[in-house]
Amino acid sequence: MSDTVRAIGFAPGTAAVWAALLFGLACIAAYVKAYRLQTAGAPGEDYLAAAGFARRLYAAYAVAILLASGLLLLLLLTHDFRLSYVASYSERNLPFYYLFSTFWAGQEGSFMLWLFFGALIGFFVWRTAKEQEPPVMIVYLASFLGIVAILCKQPPFRFLEKVPFDGQGLNPLLQDPWMVIHPPVMFAGFASLSVPFAFAIAALWAKRWDGWVVRAMPWALFTFLTLGTAILMGGYWAYKTLGWGGYWAWDPVENTSLVPWLATVALVHGMFLQKAREKHRKINVILAILAFCCILYGTFLTRSGVLADFSVHSFIDLGITGWLVGIIVFFLFGGLGLLAWRWKEIPVAPEIDPTTGKEKEEPFLSRSVLFILSVTLICASAAVILLGTSAPILTRITGKPSQVATEFYNLTHAPVAILIGLLIALVPFLSWRGEAGRDVVRKAFTAFVVGILGAGVAFAAGVRGVKDLLFIGFAVMGCAANVESVVLFVRRKAIASVGGYLAHVGVAIMLVGILISGAYERKAQVTLYRGAPTQVGRNTMTFTKTVFVTEDGSVKKREELDPTRLADRRAKQAMEVEVVSPRGKVWKAYPKLYQNERTQQLMANPDVRSTALMDLYLSPQAYDPGQPVRVEGTRFPLKSGEEKTVSGVGFKLLGIGMDRSQLNASPPRVTLNAKVVVTPPGGKPAEQTAKMVMTMKGADDSETSALDTPIPGTPGMFRIVRAGGSDAVEIEVLGMNPAGDVKPATSESLSVDITTKPLISLVWGGFYVMMAGGLVALLRRGRDAHAASIA
Amino acid sequence: MKKAYWLGAAVLLGFLVLGLSTFTKSMTPYVTFAEAKTSKRTVQVMGALEKGTTRYDIETKTLHFTLVDPQTKDVIPVTYTDVKPANFEDAVSIVAIGRYQAEGFRAEKLLVKCPSKYQGEEVEKQYGNKA
Repeated sequence: MSDTVRAIGFAPGTAAVWAALLFGLACIAAYVKAYRLQTAGAPGEDYLAAAGFARRLYAAYAVAILLASGLLLLLLLTHDFRLSYVASYSERNLPFYYLFSTFWAGQEGSFMLWLFFGALIGFFVWRTAKEQEPPVMIVYLASFLGIVAILCKQPPFRFLEKVPFDGQGLNPLLQDPWMVIHPPVMFAGFASLSVPFAFAIAALWAKRWDGWVVRAMPWALFTFLTLGTAILMGGYWAYKTLGWGGYWAWDPVENTSLVPWLATVALVHGMFLQKAREKHRKINVILAILAFCCILYGTFLTRSGVLADFSVHSFIDLGITGWLVGIIVFFLFGGLGLLAWRWKEIPVAPEIDPTTGKEKEEPFLSRSVLFILSVTLICASAAVILLGTSAPILTRITGKPSQVATEFYNLTHAPVAILIGLLIALVPFLSWRGEAGRDVVRKAFTAFVVGILGAGVAFAAGVRGVKDLLFIGFAVMGCAANVESVVLFVRRKAIASVGGYLAHVGVAIMLVGILISGAYERKAQVTLYRGAPTQVGRNTMTFTKTVFVTEDGSVKKREELDPTRLADRRAKQAMEVEVVSPRGKVWKAYPKLYQNERTQQLMANPDVRSTALMDLYLSPQAYDPGQPVRVEGTRFPLKSGEEKTVSGVGFKLLGIGMDRSQLNASPPRVTLNAKVVVTPPGGKPAEQTAKMVMTMKGADDSETSALDTPIPGTPGMFRIVRAGGSDAVEIEVLGMNPAGDVKPATSESLSVDITTKPLISLVWGGFYVMMAGGLVALLRRGRDAHAASIA
Repeated sequence: MKKAYWLGAAVLLGFLVLGLSTFTKSMTPYVTFAEAKTSKRTVQVMGALEKGTTRYDIETKTLHFTLVDPQTKDVIPVTYTDVKPANFEDAVSIVAIGRYQAEGFRAEKLLVKCPSKYQGEEVEKQYGNKA
């Protein structure tokens, strides 16, 4: 097979990717023409015809992307191992849902998924862009064409030279139900970030300083929801199944999705500010550009191989680093350059005080100031995280690449979180126009008292330190203040307006959960011996037995597993730990510790008992099956016809025979018979047959068990430990020198990390409330945008 | 209004200063074994596991092993008091974060890199693909 044929691989797939690139470029050209007609004069028939043509080209682009995605999926589902991608990430024996998710298990496929959502979202973008359609669609489409070009260079349809019978399979760490849902939501969020970016650039281009915010706001909220949900899902996945011990590890891959999300949160606030005040226009353009570039930069960090030595899950270099850098530079400098070009033209709209004729100062205690502070605070947080994550690159310039410890993030974020709590607590009491200090104090009094009470309760429950109490106090006050507002709006039947307040309630709840579950967790490392109750904290824990947990969640003994069921075949070994609480409640935990048969990797999944107040988290670390008292022997190789004296015993190998009569048994077995002449010290030579049984467990997995053969006239034994070809064996002599080689017995034990995480439920609960608030806001702003008519 | 911008700028600046100062403090530089032996601060070293040097003491939960620098062939003894990481013996390379003390490098954290991560590359090596 020639190199070219291999590089093209599955031709219809690669052709679809190239077609997408061509249709994309053609669509941009068509929209440029439509834009010219639109700006030339009153948009008439000509404009409508040109826009209609451009839309048809967009549809062609989207169909090409959908076709390429569909083909890749089809090839994965039909096990076409000619494809490097299929052979690298899937295998025959995967359940359907994991097979489906191998689509995004590799780099090329996840780029494809990104484009897939981009293509779908585009249909809604041109409909909601309305009068801004041509410039928005040009930028929107351009934002994806770089990735399309990467896939043209590295199509996922490449062939291998030889076709393997089976694939490498999906990385066992990724074989989890979350793998099916988490990446698609994440990439939907990534793709949606192109929309605010497209609106912002189009606004600079078409000089539409305020109109873009109205149209783009629902999209920024959409990104807020999808990306936020994806990030939390990832955290929950890490917490529940990966056994990292927490939901957040400040890993580069996590950080690079958090930073764009934070930028989006800042953007949403900036947009509210601009919409209310018709000022502060530059901030939002900058934020939209930065949020989008952060996604690209994150992609570069995690996919170019620069972090390969620093992250648990960053990718290897695919040879696309240069391309990614080029794309980032293009959009970052292109966007900021256009902003600089227009800078002077963007109206600042100062409010003139009619009495003095001077520019009116906005009162300090106003919502405007609070919003500006919140935007800067969120940006500061994002910048600090970006700084930490980029450490390996920044330090590479001056010397050896280094990374920062996770304390860096925790230390820098404590003050951020405290200030955010304070801002959230104040915002319901301030109006855009400003308040007198006395009024704010009067209105905020109830919430303030609740905050003090909250800090008091926390102190009584064991929270110490001024910083922590301040943190809790502000967060509780923020929660109370915003709940007050939500109640007020619901009473006035203005549910559509509660979005922001509800989201802030959620943030305040999350803040409390994050602090308490993180700073006040208790961790213990214990070794549980089987059958021996051990006191751990206030609970009594007993490791009772090893069991198997099937993929559909039932607990079985090894002999109860049904080999005809896929869920049973994929059962994982688990340890049953009986946890008895001080009140006598019994919980059976099943932390899993098993070896992946394909990769021989040892995998661990924790088990968690969640209650409203506290999670009890059992993360298995090591399992020791224990050893009976055993005499360690001396090993030596012996060839056919060779004679050796070991530990005073003479051995001569006469020959080796194989008994294959049980090859068709289940499981298949082969017995090796070694005829050996054994001469004990001072005794007569005697012919013995030593047996070793090899049991086949899988395609290339077998288990051997040797039978001990007595050495006549002595307490010793010998056995075959390994076959060395057709005419040699390795023999172990046991018990001939019992003084020095006895190994003591060890009992069966399980080492487990036990962590209690107080109030972690607030992290999840607060998140739901925050997302509910975001959804309410999305509906409201979507309706506003739909109703708005903009010149 | 200008006041708010100034305040915002001050907040941003404050955090950047805080970030940068924490940044240099919490930095754990990658160093060679020779540098690690003389350095007093927390550093990270990377190397391959020298075969046959792994010893795990269950009582004290201490893992002893030796790392070899693949280039210079330098060695450094490492101790790690915690549960032995999964797949420790299969690691292609091990990153140890900690500091050097009299008896050897005391690791606070180990990052174990397993071959499975390079799965895609391996298939291409085995079945051939150089486009």
